This record gives sequence, structure tokens and C-alpha cells, in this order.
Amino acid sequence: MDELDFASFDAMETRMTHSTSGLLDRIPTLSGDSFNATVIKGTGPIAVEFMSYGCGYCRAIEPFLQQVAETLDRKEQIFRVNIEAEPELSAAFEVQGTPTFIMFLDGREVGRVEGIQPTLSNVMAVVTQPFDINY
Amino acid sequence: MTNLNQPLLLFDGGCAVCNRIGQWVQKAAHPRSSAATLDARAIGSDPAELRTLNPNLDIWDAYAIIHLLMPDGSMKTGGEAVAEVLRRLPATKWFAWCFAISLFGFQPFQRLLNLGYTILDDVRPIFGCASCGTPRVWVKPITRLTAWTKLRFGKGATRATTPHFSHAPAPTLNSAYAGASGAKVD
Repeated sequence: MDELDFASFDAMETRMTHSTSGLLDRIPTLSGDSFNATVIKGTGPIAVEFMSYGCGYCRAIEPFLQQVAETLDRKEQIFRVNIEAEPELSAAFEVQGTPTFIMFLDGREVGRVEGIQPTLSNVMAVVTQPFDINY
Repeated sequence: MTNLNQPLLLFDGGCAVCNRIGQWVQKAAHPRSSAATLDARAIGSDPAELRTLNPNLDIWDAYAIIHLLMPDGSMKTGGEAVAEVLRRLPATKWFAWCFAISLFGFQPFQRLLNLGYTILDDVRPIFGCASCGTPRVWVKPITRLTAWTKLRFGKGATRATTPHFSHAPAPTLNSAYAGASGAKVD
């Protein structure tokens, strides 16, 4: 994987706020059925954030995750699963808390990170770390 | 957009403090002798359903600060929402008029209420709230102490809800996945 450009990430961070209002939501939310069709039977690199809207840490990383989704575009798909709406799904993947990121490659889990420092570079590193992605 | 007959207070259902306050408001707003003066409900977890109440209502914002949805389609937040709730409750409306007092454009009692709301919002994590956001620096030691005390001396000593991870020190690939990665994506 190419070296991450941390300087440019930090510069972008200074222009971003933690408010999520008005942001275009680039991260589709998955249910149990769509999870199977999209992730388990999906191809290529996929990152799934197990989150809840009441989680302050999830809120803190949300603007950065949106930015990462925009940057990666079609190179890696990013989805979210609301654990309050999908408790069976979070139980099936043994999600112990939020936010938990699980990375999949061709339907197979290849990485997992629990909790993230709310910085753009960190979020980018988390969702791309198991894959060799040029962006 | 759903038409509201009376103001609707949205509170964080995952927060013990907010739940108590929300239940009290709900009870106080429904006196036996007269019609309800407002409604209160937990925010829930469906962003689309919330937007049917008000298209400008963002679920992240709803969890970040208390919202009062007005029948005319406007929204009040934070201390303003608390003042409006107090104005509408039969038990508190006798003193809530003071929040509208303005001295040369300065509203002293409303400012005090805003400050009180901010402090309560900051200290919520002390009470073991599972969805109270990231605790401020000065609150963190107290939350750790209360969590330790609960674990050490509390009955049942387990959290009913899923914990929220503050952060990982650095993203590192779990050794269990070693060799499983490496797809080249251009």
C-alpha cells in the first residue's frame, strides 16, 4: 500500500467539523438480508462499521468516515450496520462494542478494529489496512 | 412530514439520566384533569423515521443535544428546548416565565438555564450513560472512578447496553488475519 499522506489529511481535518448536519451520506446502511447479499456474497474489499447513533465515538468519526468513503469511491465499499436495529447481526460477528470496523475481502473477514481515534488519517488507515489500495 | 398536535420532546433512550427526565416530563405533561401539553419519546435508531417528524432533523444531532419539535415545524434545542418544556408543564409553568425576561437583549435566566443544561450534558457519563458521547477531559477521571466503584461494589456490576469504544491506540492488523490480506486494488 502506498504511504498515507498524513500531512494532507491533517490539513483536511482542520477544515472539517464534527457536525454531521448537511453532509451527503455516502455510507449505505445494511440490514440482515442486504448484509448477506452485499458483503458475504460481495466481491472486493469492503469495510463495515458496526455502530449506533447514540454512540458519541461513532458520531466523532462520522465526518471522517464520510470523507474516506468519498476518497476511496469505488476502490473499497464502506457500509454501516446499526447494532440497535440489527442485534442478531452484531451478535453473529461478536461485536463487543461500537464503533467496530470489520473488513471483508470477497466475503471473508480479513481485519477488525474496535474503537478509532477520530482523525481522518486514522480512519483511512483502519478501513484500508488489510488491503493494498492506491487512492 | 408528520403533523404534530403538540410539541414533541426527543430524548436519548440509552441514557439513564435522559430516560428519567423524559419519563418525568411525559408524566407531568399528561395531567388527569386536562389535555396533554406535550409529548416525549426516545429518539430511537431510525434516521428515516425521524425525518418524517421533521425533514431537517438529523439523528446524530438529535443524540448530541436535546430537541423539542414544535407543531409549526420549527425545532428548539438545548436550553431553549428545556425552557419551552418548563413553560408547557403545569407543574413548572409558574416559574418558567422568567426565562423570557430580557434586559437590554440579555436573558439572564435563559443563560443560566443554558449553562445548567451544558453542565448536566457534560456530567451524564458519570452516571454510567452508555450513549452520552465522549466525556470531557475533566469528567473522565470521575467516570473511571464511578465505573470502577460499580464494578467493585455494584450489584450485578454489568452494563446492560453495548459499550462504546473510545479509541484504539493505533490501527494494527490482528495477527489472526496475518496472511489473509493483500488484495491489490487500483
